[in-house]
Amino acid sequence: MSRRAASKRAVAIGMAALLAIPACGGEDAATRATAGKVALALNWKPEPEFGGLYEAQRMDAFAKRGITLELTGGPGAPVVQMVEAGKVEFGIAAADEVVLARDRGADIVAVFATYQTNPQGIMVHAARGLHSLADVFAAGGTLAVEPGVAYTKFFEKHYDLTKMKIVPYGYSIAPFLGDPTLAQQVFVTAEPIAARRQGADPQVFLIAESGFNPYAAVVITTGARARAETKRLADFVAALREGWRGYLDDPTLANALMGQLNKEMDADTFRLGAAAQQPLIEDAFAKQSGVGAMSLERWATLGRQLQELGLIGAAPAPRDCFVQVETLQSPPEPLR
Amino acid sequence: MTPSPLPRYPAFMSAPEPTAAPTGVAVRVRGACRVFRSAGEADVVAVDGVDLSIAAGEFVAILGPSGCGKSTLLRMIAGLEPLDAGDLGFGAGGGAPKNALAYVFQDAHLLPWRDVLANVALPLELQGRASGERRDAALRAIAAVGLADAARRHPAQLSGGMRMRVSLARALVTEPRLLLLDEPFAALDEITRQDLDDQLRALWAATGMTVLFVTHSIAEAAFLAERAVVLTRRPARVVLEHALDLPAQRDAALRGDARFAREMSVLYEALRRGNGKAA
Amino acid sequence: MKPRFVETFVPPAATFLLTTAAAEFGIRAAGVSPLLLPTPSAVARAALQHAPTLLPALAMTAQAVAIGLALSIALGLLVAIALSTSRWVERAFYPYAIFFQIVPIVAIAPLLVIWFGYGMRAVVAAAFIVSVFPVIANSLAGLLSVDPALRDLFRLYGASGFARLWKLSLPWALPNVLTGLRIAAGLAVIGAIVGEFVGGGGLGVVVLEAMRQQRTDLVFAAVLHAAALGLALFAAVNATSHFALRRWHTQETEP
Repeated sequence: MSRRAASKRAVAIGMAALLAIPACGGEDAATRATAGKVALALNWKPEPEFGGLYEAQRMDAFAKRGITLELTGGPGAPVVQMVEAGKVEFGIAAADEVVLARDRGADIVAVFATYQTNPQGIMVHAARGLHSLADVFAAGGTLAVEPGVAYTKFFEKHYDLTKMKIVPYGYSIAPFLGDPTLAQQVFVTAEPIAARRQGADPQVFLIAESGFNPYAAVVITTGARARAETKRLADFVAALREGWRGYLDDPTLANALMGQLNKEMDADTFRLGAAAQQPLIEDAFAKQSGVGAMSLERWATLGRQLQELGLIGAAPAPRDCFVQVETLQSPPEPLR
Repeated sequence: MTPSPLPRYPAFMSAPEPTAAPTGVAVRVRGACRVFRSAGEADVVAVDGVDLSIAAGEFVAILGPSGCGKSTLLRMIAGLEPLDAGDLGFGAGGGAPKNALAYVFQDAHLLPWRDVLANVALPLELQGRASGERRDAALRAIAAVGLADAARRHPAQLSGGMRMRVSLARALVTEPRLLLLDEPFAALDEITRQDLDDQLRALWAATGMTVLFVTHSIAEAAFLAERAVVLTRRPARVVLEHALDLPAQRDAALRGDARFAREMSVLYEALRRGNGKAA
Repeated sequence: MKPRFVETFVPPAATFLLTTAAAEFGIRAAGVSPLLLPTPSAVARAALQHAPTLLPALAMTAQAVAIGLALSIALGLLVAIALSTSRWVERAFYPYAIFFQIVPIVAIAPLLVIWFGYGMRAVVAAAFIVSVFPVIANSLAGLLSVDPALRDLFRLYGASGFARLWKLSLPWALPNVLTGLRIAAGLAVIGAIVGEFVGGGGLGVVVLEAMRQQRTDLVFAAVLHAAALGLALFAAVNATSHFALRRWHTQETEP
């Protein structure tokens, strides 16, 4: 679940819809393709969650494979729509967005999953002495989350949320700092670090603890493109993986690069954020299968969960949701 | 109601205060000056040392070219404009007569959201009179200007002449002792205007109030007034004060009369002189 | 009455039908993804299917809009009256009243939550902030445009300040107040929805949820409900205007 879609997104969707119509022919993409260029839409400002992308850029991992990558988008960008409309070749989204998009008739597939463990969590004040998500919900108080996120629905189904007052998350930690009983959604690389710097003593429970754990910061593209341009896709993912490898080993230079583009986040926060996300990206599975790798079981679980929550009609076939680049390196098989 | 019969008072008006004083009030203006100042522009002297003495119950027309300051003079008398120099006195006491003054503007200036009855009753309402009294007095005043059938209509449903009659009724409703009119019928067609002139003259005759009538029409001044005061162009000064030698009973036939023509030429000559032109 | 009804309702209805039909066939023919632009029929289906969500949300938004608009009228009129009392007061304070017009509501909406807490109060505040300026500006223009001759008339008869305000200035300003209200009504709906984005509740949250769940059809359905609310308010102001001003003009129409 991409965590932050600003309220301006209403406008952005409308604009995307308008832009999409002339873009149906894929002119932009076509002109880019001849120049060896691809565009990738981010869904947030340059922060550690995109560290591998910027590191790959910095070390020319794309360039040496003949790819010129242009990073676009940002907070509030309707990434799924942009990819579906052909405005960009790639985008960053969350695994549940991929499943939702497929259910809504869009041919979106995941090609790389940055986070094996979803980096989103619920932040509370440590002084409350809570030990789990179940504790948080039993204690009551205000819960600030983005309206419509799948995990809230999941919580509602698996916990008793009747004591919680659920309010929209406004992308500001000011209400949290001012209210000792407020719990809010966070990205572990950002809000908890900011809260601590402002004198709070935050404690975070990952949403994955509940059993709902979609891949996050997933690189998406269209199924048609994945099928048609297997070599290019394999090169792209290889470059991305090389970038992440570099960032996980030493994030300093890429952090400096991102810090130039995102002045709101200081070097210390970049450093702490990069450290905080490391275990969520490179767990045992990723160590074995490679950073960004995905498993059929995880997609199957996610599809089943979203269906149980009533967010989609029928769970999609898990293998339609993603393209494992390892399979592309051998002769490709038809995906559908 | 006092039983004392006052022959000059028609049935639609309630009797005046039972005093010996005449109904109308006298007006004295001495050396009245008014200068308009606005930042960045030259001062405009509108009225420059006007003397005027009007007897109680008199009908005086103030005649002058357009924009000469005659309206300013009238507004000064009404207390709507201060005097920069000179003084102003009323009746014997000299003070402004409370609730005894009424003013009729160039246009009807009615409240569009009120019907005729409520418009006419407005002055009494503002003076804090009881609602029954207001209604009765307003209906009488409406009848006096010949609009009895239109009491419940709104200004938008009336012709220009009818609106002006409502404005007149609104002025009369307080039974004023001094009625000031500022070119009230200028915007009306000739027939309606003469009709209203007749009506005004009759109301004056019936009530005995003092009437000061500002106009730029020589014929209107001659037809209506007992006396005409002719002003120069701005700044206004008095060129001529002339008692009109015409019969008290005036009707349409008078307009064709030789005496009427003679009086008009006197006024015309004075007006030309006031405009800085030789006769 | 009948030809008037036809005149009033047939042209917009025809426009609606033609546009809807054109959109339906255009979108289908172009094969646009429902994620990007849903067909009118898909939107209608979403509206029906989600009526149990949409209607209570609409009621909630309508309530916040009504309270916000009522506050705008009451406080906007009071401010306009205060500003109309003297040139000096107007010069001293009017520039700050303009603040309400230029305040980027999207930017300050998160602060409203901090000031007023989550829920209805923050939403009402957002609706108020965006809708109060047109009320102030138009009412002030009306109050300042009172016929000088009528001011003189009221002075002549020794009217009290209250009588001047109640019997002259306010009724005189009524058409302007209603014009301001007509603008304010639409803005209050926008303000409430932006307020709900941060304060919670109503159609604002339905829009956010639908966007998050990639239900573009439901987004459009919710937006249409908000538009209907705005239209209903506009019609209500027009009806009030028509009723209140019908005697002012011979043709029984507003200015």
